[in-house]
Amino acid sequence: MTDGRPSPTNDAQIVVSGLTKRYRNVLAVNNLSFTVEPGRVTGFLGPNGAGKTTTLRMLLNLVTPTAGGATIGGQRYPELADPLRHVGAVLEASSAHKGRTGINHLRVICAAAGLPRERADQALELVGLTPAAKRKFKGYSLGMKQRLGIAAAMLGDPRVLILDEPANGLDPEGIRWMRGFLKGLATEGRTVLVSSHLLSEMQLLADDVVIIAAGQLVRQGPVEQVIGSMAQGVRVRVRTPQADALTAALKDGPATVDSDGQGALLIGGVDAPTVGRAALAAGVELHELTTERPDLERVFLELTAGKAGIR
Amino acid sequence: MSNLVRSELLKIRTTSTWWWLAIGAFLSIALAFAFNAWLASETLSGGGEEFGYTGDAASAPAQAANLYTSGQYLGLMFVMLIGILMVTNEFFHQTATTTFLATPRRTSVIVSKLIAASLLGFAFWLVTTIIDLAAGATFLSLNDYGTLLGEWEVQRALLLNLMAYAIWTVLGVGIGTLITNQLGAVITASVLYLIGTQVVGLLFLLLANVLDNMAVIKWQVVWPAAASQVMITPGENEMLPAWWVGALVLVGYAVVSGVVGILITRRRDVS
Ligand SMILES: Nc1ncnc2c1ncn2[C@@H]1O[C@H](COP(=O)(O)OP(=O)(O)O)[C@@H](O)[C@H]1O
Ligand SMILES: [Mg+2]
Repeated sequence: MTDGRPSPTNDAQIVVSGLTKRYRNVLAVNNLSFTVEPGRVTGFLGPNGAGKTTTLRMLLNLVTPTAGGATIGGQRYPELADPLRHVGAVLEASSAHKGRTGINHLRVICAAAGLPRERADQALELVGLTPAAKRKFKGYSLGMKQRLGIAAAMLGDPRVLILDEPANGLDPEGIRWMRGFLKGLATEGRTVLVSSHLLSEMQLLADDVVIIAAGQLVRQGPVEQVIGSMAQGVRVRVRTPQADALTAALKDGPATVDSDGQGALLIGGVDAPTVGRAALAAGVELHELTTERPDLERVFLELTAGKAGIR
Repeated sequence: MSNLVRSELLKIRTTSTWWWLAIGAFLSIALAFAFNAWLASETLSGGGEEFGYTGDAASAPAQAANLYTSGQYLGLMFVMLIGILMVTNEFFHQTATTTFLATPRRTSVIVSKLIAASLLGFAFWLVTTIIDLAAGATFLSLNDYGTLLGEWEVQRALLLNLMAYAIWTVLGVGIGTLITNQLGAVITASVLYLIGTQVVGLLFLLLANVLDNMAVIKWQVVWPAAASQVMITPGENEMLPAWWVGALVLVGYAVVSGVVGILITRRRDVS
């Protein structure tokens, strides 16, 4: 898919700085800054209403920021000489004319961007939509619509891909396909920025995450690092017929003991060997002793606690 | 820019709405031509007074001009609707995002829509005129008037008809950018075009009576549809401004709505 253009790394870097958008009574995005690197899939996470869509639309010059700005490869989107050859985007609330066929939808875009007409056929092939090329958009399933959106984004063979909740409405098979597709693009050295509120999916897909809540940055970094930074989140799961005895044995240390509601104890503040030793000393019988690392979902819920919800 | 115009024309060609409007326009030509032909034969055989045709208006060239521009009244409305749909479709079908991603310079998008609209207006005029010329020349020759195509009055009517088609399509694009709600724009514009003209005519007649000054009727020309009528009507009198006044007013509306449309579109958040 690459055509041998020289592409210095920063050519495909996204930089968001101080981005702010105020709608009449909502601060949708509040002084948001982060960067997105090429060659990696970056998950853009936040609860509903966090400001993800607004941020992506400002990045693409569809919405005018109240303050701040964003660049792609050092240039604002409208300054790009050939925007579709540089950036491909799949956005929510973006669609095709219901009465137009899929292939014609793509041809219209090719014409506007000065791309050769054959790109439309190639892009349809790429997303596996060739059999539905001559069907009207209104007859497309949700998954087919999403694929057509991706085909449109790929028309110019761009180095930067921006997708807003692409997994919405896809079936498990579609989600799997999307995951493989996006990972492949990142492997080719492209920048892939994907917004989502589906955390388990993001954990499988993203290399980096940018987490926002209520329009503000909460955390940015590689997934492992962000999860690891929640050190107090590491807990030990213990199954024992003598729960009370173990709780008593740990009472004098830094440990916190909770029930997981399913007959096991979740012990925080100490590591597994410490728990094992305490159990041995107290003669407590153990049936399970495992270290539980927090997953993205737990980190996310902790980080965004109290900031979610409708604004 | 030529890429963008090509893209706009492709958008039109690849949906069926436009074809329905074209069929509507050509049906209205057929009806209008039949009516005008009947009118011409009545008038030219001396019965013009019944319809208010006297003097110049009852002459063969005037009747020929009328015949050769048959279908204009509804045709102009159809091209205006196409102009409107060129813009409102982008919002109704949520394609504005795709369009502005491909071309972030929004002024270019609207300008290319204006150019594509004028080309389309020209195409409508061309097809309409070819049909009218074929049918009109046959009708007039059969009635021993000859084609009358050498008459300046006839040629002038054809050219002004062309101008009317181009301006009304452009005006449609302007209206679309001002009212992006598809149904809202289509209904408003149709009502203003079809019913508005009568209402405005009546209002000015009332006003003229109240002020006891018939020249006030002239000022109907500020209304776009009335301006269009003035532009294509030969002659000038106390109650009828010269054709170029109508043309100027109409061009003025097209320019103002186009410019305001561009300014609004540049600032609009697409979400
Ligand atoms: N056009 C708009 N007018 C007013 N408020 C808006 C508009 N678009 C978004 N908002 C508000 O801005 C906030 C962020 O919305 P959005 O960016 O869509 O969040 P997300 O994509 O993360 O779910 C929400 O509170 C939303 O209601
Ligand atoms: Mg969103």
